[in-house]
Amino acid sequence: MLGKGEAAGQAHLHKDDDGGEQPSGVVKLISAEGFEFVVDKKAAMVSNTLRNMLTSPGGFSETREGEVRFPEISTPILEKICQYFYWSLHYSSGKETSEFQIEPEITLELMMAANYLDT
Amino acid sequence: MASAASAALLSYLSLSFPLLPHYSPRGTQPHAAAAAASAEKAASLSPLGFRCLRAAAASLAAMAGQERRTIDLEEGWAFMQKGITKLKNILEGKPEPQFSSEDYMMLYTTIYNMCTQKPPHDYSQQLYDKYRESFEEYITSMVLPSLRDKHDEFMLRELVKRWSNHKIMVRWLSRFFFYLDRYFISRRSLTPLEQVGLTCFRDLIYQEIKGQVKGAVIALIDKEREGEQIDRALLKNVLGIFVEIGLGSMECYENDFEDFLLKDTTDYYSLKAQSWILEDSCPDYMIKAEECLKKEKERVGHYLHISSEQKLLEKVQNELLAQYATPLLEKEHSGCFALLRDDKEEDLSRMYRLFSKITRGLEPIANMFKTHVTNEGTALVKQAEDSASNKKPEKKDMVGMQEQVFVWKIIELHDKYVAYVTECFQGHTLFHKALKEAFEVFCNKGVSGSSSAELLATFCDNILKKGCSEKLSDEAIEDALEKVKCVEVFKEFYQTRTKHRKLTWIYSLGTCNINAKFEAKTIELIVTTYQAALLLLFNGSDRLSYSEIVTQLNLSDDDVVRLLHSLSCAKYKILNKEPANRSISPNDVFEFNSKFTDRMRRIKIPLPPVDEKKKVVEDVDKDRRYAIDASIVRIMKSRKVMGHQQLVAECVEQLSRMFKPDFKAIKKRIEDLITRDYLEREKDNANVYRYLA
Repeated sequence: MLGKGEAAGQAHLHKDDDGGEQPSGVVKLISAEGFEFVVDKKAAMVSNTLRNMLTSPGGFSETREGEVRFPEISTPILEKICQYFYWSLHYSSGKETSEFQIEPEITLELMMAANYLDT
Repeated sequence: MASAASAALLSYLSLSFPLLPHYSPRGTQPHAAAAAASAEKAASLSPLGFRCLRAAAASLAAMAGQERRTIDLEEGWAFMQKGITKLKNILEGKPEPQFSSEDYMMLYTTIYNMCTQKPPHDYSQQLYDKYRESFEEYITSMVLPSLRDKHDEFMLRELVKRWSNHKIMVRWLSRFFFYLDRYFISRRSLTPLEQVGLTCFRDLIYQEIKGQVKGAVIALIDKEREGEQIDRALLKNVLGIFVEIGLGSMECYENDFEDFLLKDTTDYYSLKAQSWILEDSCPDYMIKAEECLKKEKERVGHYLHISSEQKLLEKVQNELLAQYATPLLEKEHSGCFALLRDDKEEDLSRMYRLFSKITRGLEPIANMFKTHVTNEGTALVKQAEDSASNKKPEKKDMVGMQEQVFVWKIIELHDKYVAYVTECFQGHTLFHKALKEAFEVFCNKGVSGSSSAELLATFCDNILKKGCSEKLSDEAIEDALEKVKCVEVFKEFYQTRTKHRKLTWIYSLGTCNINAKFEAKTIELIVTTYQAALLLLFNGSDRLSYSEIVTQLNLSDDDVVRLLHSLSCAKYKILNKEPANRSISPNDVFEFNSKFTDRMRRIKIPLPPVDEKKKVVEDVDKDRRYAIDASIVRIMKSRKVMGHQQLVAECVEQLSRMFKPDFKAIKKRIEDLITRDYLEREKDNANVYRYLA
């Protein structure tokens, strides 16, 4: 049967276990060059990959844990992605639409990053 | 965003298309350009698009001067294995730090890279297989043994814990391996990751252990049935597994658990019923049955799946009630007949409630009800018979009284059992029918020579004429009349008595007592049938116009005028008339006068006397006309020709014995006779008449 330590472990894993929970707070996204982008957790959830991570059982403490490194994503691309997060949140209500501008020269890299992040 | 990006890319890369010249080429990515031009707009890339992606990744990395390192399968898997082991440790409760976001992304990225490498380093298939193997390995090495060495309730608890763990493991691993779901799995229509994980548990654990689990659960349920306390939450969780493991279908729950539960329930209650039917009286048995049904229903609410409710209750009802219906209902001193006899309404209500749920369960009860009522009615008939035949001959005039008593009793009987039908049997048609048929049986029996119908007819007659020995309100009279449908019955009765006479109802001579509720007090009005009919119209509306009254009563204007006059312009103003004068005109409107009052509690409202005299005079005139005609014709026939004056004089003399005719009338009759070709005027002398043959 379960001992005290086990129970604690279980409990920790069970936390945040429903996908619908709204996280408060921020995450830090770090590009290949080391640039740090701090975004709301809600914005980060636009990416399915990040969302899966953030809502997996076993919460992350705000301070140290909430950072993610992307050694393969360059700074301008990561920046664009963060912009996209906020654009998506803003216009997802569907009331008004505006185009998300994508500079042609970054499209390929952006597409790959988008694929990786499932955004 | 992938779709937005690919759309943008498409436009950028349409360099070669003259239609879109305004994109200036930047950078040189010939391979990517040509390939990505075929990328779809959909969120997930097509197979070709995916290949392009892969190629682009390589070329981009090459351009940036970094070769993306190919991850070897062994190496990559070893890394994943570390993560999986960490997860297992956490689940087993070993001291192990939580996954950091770094850990997470690393694991995810490893899979991602291994899946987006160029062949032969695209390890999607291998990773998919290893994913499954991870579960299988963990289950067989850790989970199965822990379950195998436990039994009964302990085993159930372990199972619940292990299932919960398993679900967590599936969730984590499927997220690490998520990239497989997106392209590899969907492209080849393979089983998705989550389902693979759950199926492992089902195939390796559930299938082996389900029999034991089912047995343990049912044992606990039976324990609870015997009154012991059990852990309901545990059962709820265990049964939850049966439902969830069906992966969307209820098959596992139904086949591996519910079927057995139903069988066990049947056996359990069959046994109980066998002893109860012998030991308990009918009401007690029914109370127990009702309690059992209640408990089983609660059971569903506490831990069974809702879909079991209907089937479970049916089994219980079948074993306790349907199987034992006859012995139960026919129990000597406490069965249906006894309950009816002893007026046990609550028990009868319970009986109805219980048996109404069984197919054709109510029929025997309705039959018993019918028999009982018939017996009671027949007993009354016999009673009346006996007292009638026991009477001394000189008291024959008391026969009327006895029969009245008999009819009253019949009415009481009817009232009593109508109440039973409405309340105990909730107005079910089967019971209405039974009551009706019962009454039909004994109403056709005779009492001292007269049929019940005749007695009822006499009864009605008495009511209508004298208002009988007991004071009756109008409602009671109406009820009584309704019950016996007296008009029909009386008609039939009259027909049987006097075959050659025609029965004509003289409505104008009937009287009626009406209770009128005025504001001050209720006064009984004694009125004729017609007046009553008119007053009853005001039950439906407060105000009626003259024309409405005429239409609804369907009487002649003269009659209506008389009626309205008696009610609104005479001594007692039951109705208010607008305008409030003393004559009735077709434009009048009438309203019920709620403010009317009188010091008497009962008043008679007479109709104004018909102007009889006028009528009489009219009639007499008519008769006289014929007499005059006859006389004139007689005279002219014998004389053939006569002057006017002479004719009139002769006529008067002839009729002098009877009456003195009016000269004008005679003249008129002569004119009439001329037009009817009995007489004619002489051509040269208008004053002389000739008889026409």
